[in-house]
Amino acid sequence: MSFRKRNIGLSPGVDRNAVPNTAQPAPEGTPGIRPSPDDGRPTTSTGTRSLDNLLAGHAGLPMGKLLFIEENGTTDFAGALLRYYAAEGVIQDQKIHVVGVPEQWGRTLPGLIGSAESLDEKRSDRRKDDRMKIAWRYERLGEFGAVAGSRDAPSTPGEQDSTAKEAPAFCHAFDLTKRLTHPSITNMSFIPLMPSKESPFAAILKRLQTAITSSPANTIHRIVVPSLLNPTMYPPGSCQPENVLQFLHALKALMSAHATRVTAMITFPLSLFPRSSGLVRWIELLSDGVIELCPFPHSADATATSGAATSQEEPPQGMLKTHRLPVLHERGGGSYQNVGQDWAFILSRRRFEIKPFSLPPAEGDTEAQDTAAAGGMPKKSDLEF
Amino acid sequence: MAPVNLSHRRTHNLLLISKLLSLRDTASPLTLVLDSLEQPATPLLKEYIRRAKLSKVHVTLIAFETLKQPEGVDAFVTTRRKSPADITKEVSAVYQHVANSNPSRRRLILIDSINPLLNSKRDDPGFHLPSFLSSFLAPTSPTAKVDTSLVVTYHQDVPEPPQQSPYASSPLSVLTYLATSIITLHSFSHILAQKAARDRSLAPPVFGLEEEQEGVLLGRLDKLSGTGAAEGIVIELEHRRKSGRGVLEWYLLPPASRYSPQHLKEIVTLLDDNILYNPPMERDPGAENEEPTSTFELGLTDKQRRDREGVVLPYFDAQSGDGPGEGGRILYDMGEEDDFDEEEDEI
Amino acid sequence: MPSQPPLPPLLAPYVSTLPDASLTLVSSILGATSNWLVLRFLHAALSSQSASTFGADDLQNGIKKKVVLVSFMRSYEFWKTEAKRLGLDLTRLAEKHQFAFIDGMSELFYAQSPAPTSSPGMGSSPRTTLPMRGPPGAVPGRAPQPTAPVGTMGNPAAKQEPGIAKKLHFSGRGLASLDAMEKDIALVIEQQKTQMEEGDELVLIIDQPDLLLATTGPSMGIGATEMSEWITGLQQLAHATIVTLATDTPLIHNASGLGGQLATPIETEHAAFAIGLAHRARSVMQLRTLETGAAKDVSGVLRISRGGGLGTGEDNLEEREALYFIQRDGGVTVFGRGES
Repeated sequence: MSFRKRNIGLSPGVDRNAVPNTAQPAPEGTPGIRPSPDDGRPTTSTGTRSLDNLLAGHAGLPMGKLLFIEENGTTDFAGALLRYYAAEGVIQDQKIHVVGVPEQWGRTLPGLIGSAESLDEKRSDRRKDDRMKIAWRYERLGEFGAVAGSRDAPSTPGEQDSTAKEAPAFCHAFDLTKRLTHPSITNMSFIPLMPSKESPFAAILKRLQTAITSSPANTIHRIVVPSLLNPTMYPPGSCQPENVLQFLHALKALMSAHATRVTAMITFPLSLFPRSSGLVRWIELLSDGVIELCPFPHSADATATSGAATSQEEPPQGMLKTHRLPVLHERGGGSYQNVGQDWAFILSRRRFEIKPFSLPPAEGDTEAQDTAAAGGMPKKSDLEF
Repeated sequence: MAPVNLSHRRTHNLLLISKLLSLRDTASPLTLVLDSLEQPATPLLKEYIRRAKLSKVHVTLIAFETLKQPEGVDAFVTTRRKSPADITKEVSAVYQHVANSNPSRRRLILIDSINPLLNSKRDDPGFHLPSFLSSFLAPTSPTAKVDTSLVVTYHQDVPEPPQQSPYASSPLSVLTYLATSIITLHSFSHILAQKAARDRSLAPPVFGLEEEQEGVLLGRLDKLSGTGAAEGIVIELEHRRKSGRGVLEWYLLPPASRYSPQHLKEIVTLLDDNILYNPPMERDPGAENEEPTSTFELGLTDKQRRDREGVVLPYFDAQSGDGPGEGGRILYDMGEEDDFDEEEDEI
Repeated sequence: MPSQPPLPPLLAPYVSTLPDASLTLVSSILGATSNWLVLRFLHAALSSQSASTFGADDLQNGIKKKVVLVSFMRSYEFWKTEAKRLGLDLTRLAEKHQFAFIDGMSELFYAQSPAPTSSPGMGSSPRTTLPMRGPPGAVPGRAPQPTAPVGTMGNPAAKQEPGIAKKLHFSGRGLASLDAMEKDIALVIEQQKTQMEEGDELVLIIDQPDLLLATTGPSMGIGATEMSEWITGLQQLAHATIVTLATDTPLIHNASGLGGQLATPIETEHAAFAIGLAHRARSVMQLRTLETGAAKDVSGVLRISRGGGLGTGEDNLEEREALYFIQRDGGVTVFGRGES
């Protein structure tokens, strides 16, 4: 499997690769939409570059797909991802629908720094300076963003150049300490949860449906659902399967009916509803992508939990697991090189970075390593007797 | 285990299973078959039907999960969208004309799975499991004397929904309490694998759902490693005699392909008689050549053994407790050749 | 690796030989979905008519097969796109009455009824976006769809939507709502049967009916028994039936009560439904991920076992376990452990 098989493997008379192109016409030229390097289907950015790169070679969230982000514990890393996602939509002039939270939520979106490429260029410049000589096969692990790129080597370089220079940026970088100011931020719509006799979700669905079907066909929509089933926001009956699962199923139906215009991201508190329960598993089965965040316990000593290879890099703040990826798993799954790897994430002021997780050298062993490094390996003569 | 005992057991228990499976003497009016995905009851039910055909017993199948009428079944009663009362009525209706023409026939009623009935969400306040089951056994009319046997299959691995009344006993306990015979089915290859593990003092392996592996429903594979060609199903029978005494025995039912459908002789054997389960001892324990062969003569002749037993060991009498050697002390008289050195050691 | 046949040889006997009145259960989990296997069933049944180049099922040539696919979790778009990769044109097959798609997703719980004023705007707007497209050279061969854009779903005109024979609706509760859906499906099957000749076989594929159970549940009067009865009713209409289900650990093992916690109704009912169906099935095809974690050239494990069904006659279904790998172009290889 060392070479790409994009142009072979056709059964007689059937052009497999041409299929998605004709089936799902990407609204070309729409800001924030680009064809997937994997199969050409339209994708949009999640607002987090390294998350985009994680999504099974599509380098973005394919249109019509729902990403479900679960988080353990009391932290709110998923909330940060969700804010990036919403902010990216605002920048790209997409219509944002936020479910269940008041409008103040919209004022907490992170401020724009620039395109993600520009930030990455700065970083990679710095990285080039202090890059160590390491075996080439590990090199890719250091710069995760390059993985998807190198995979699609035939098409990407030219494409990226053109997107960087001519077209507007696909993904942006944001600063969590700043607040987003953008003309279209007022364009966000907030759908409150109304108490009702029927399913509390019925009204939400109605509004989403009306908004999407009545909008012009070139409007791209983002559905943002922070902390689904959180009891401080949702009425008590919400967690009944007939309510929440019917809602998700109908949402899935709505999204596949408008498959080129809608994406959605949902965050979910696992500490209230554990993954081992049947209800959560059904929510996952109804989602196109399932990502679990497992933050490390808080620690004042930053290096204690470090998984960083070197002391220069920030220590990761938690583990990230991909249980299901959009499109890939729907089609049978598992063949993507990044599946099954352990990921770590680092949330800093300016970025949410996902990179391969590696266990640090055992604590307290650093001295031994230092002396070993200083003294070098025992000489052969020392060992002979 | 004494061989006499085993042969006695063999005669009695084989007669018992033969009676039960062939429905002779109404040995068991209500038989409960507990099966699982690892060993479904299908082969056993087929065996019931086969024997019923041989002895001209009328067979009724109440189908909760079977789609088409299987071969050998005289009456096929579907249960879809029918209340328990309707099912009872229909079951007695299908036998009416048979009963009229031939009043003394025997009858076998099979229920292919009782679980759907127990799990039903239908609000049926009148449903009462014991009376539902006994309605089949009760004579339909005082004139017709029908010996009816009811065989009910229960899937052990299908979970039961919570009881409506928390104090009521669970349907499974009701069934096991009512049944005169309880047959639990096991896969022969699994029994062998578990026995092999036990013989090595290892934890017995589990299969299928019990593996608790994600995505695995069935663990049964034809070629289970290490068991060879172990075909057939193991029947664990618990039978309550009329006297109230219980019998517990394990049998082996060979696969249907091993004998012809018209085969009359008993095909079920005791599990303990199976070669794979109880392999014959490789060497008789009482045999002569037990000793390792060697160039040295390690054995003793009879005379040598007698002589050896006759030897009185030194200080033997010290153990008797009287005399100078009391307590096993070592007594030693110093000779003149001994060079006694006080500083060297003390006696 | 050479190009793979659409139907891997190792899989062929299991997906193309479906005896009368048989139930085949396909189980999947979160990380190992069953869509690719359903597509292989479609291919095995339909390809002999659309293309004669595949030699795997020459034996079946005498019998024509028709397929009715009821899908609760995927849209028609998905099946159409993926089937095209295998050389099946579902829309054309639907026109020839060899295939019928029943949409159990788009309007199952909430009818999609857009404001009537908006529909003309929707119909015309895709064309207005045309000038906004990028340079045509960037995506050669991509032309605007001549057919109606997907956005028109739910219009009064949706009845003519190509390829979709029927959209299922769930209303009310309990058996009545199931009966209504059964009637809808039966109607489509009857329509197909009018076009059938003597000896033709109709294969019914029900994709994830467990969704119906999960989204309704005992509180709406639907449990495992009611669902299996529903399946039985549909089974009686078809020659062979294929049902796909989820068998994730929380949905199967929580109900056994070994974990010590009390199982929720959704877990108990799902387990009872899935295990009950396995007891009825002729064969159970179980998909799961590798126990040892993901591998680069293995997508998952397929175990084929005999179910507990009281089949008619002796049936030589060989049980086996194999690995499978889905390539990026949608091709599938199935191979034993240690082979490649």
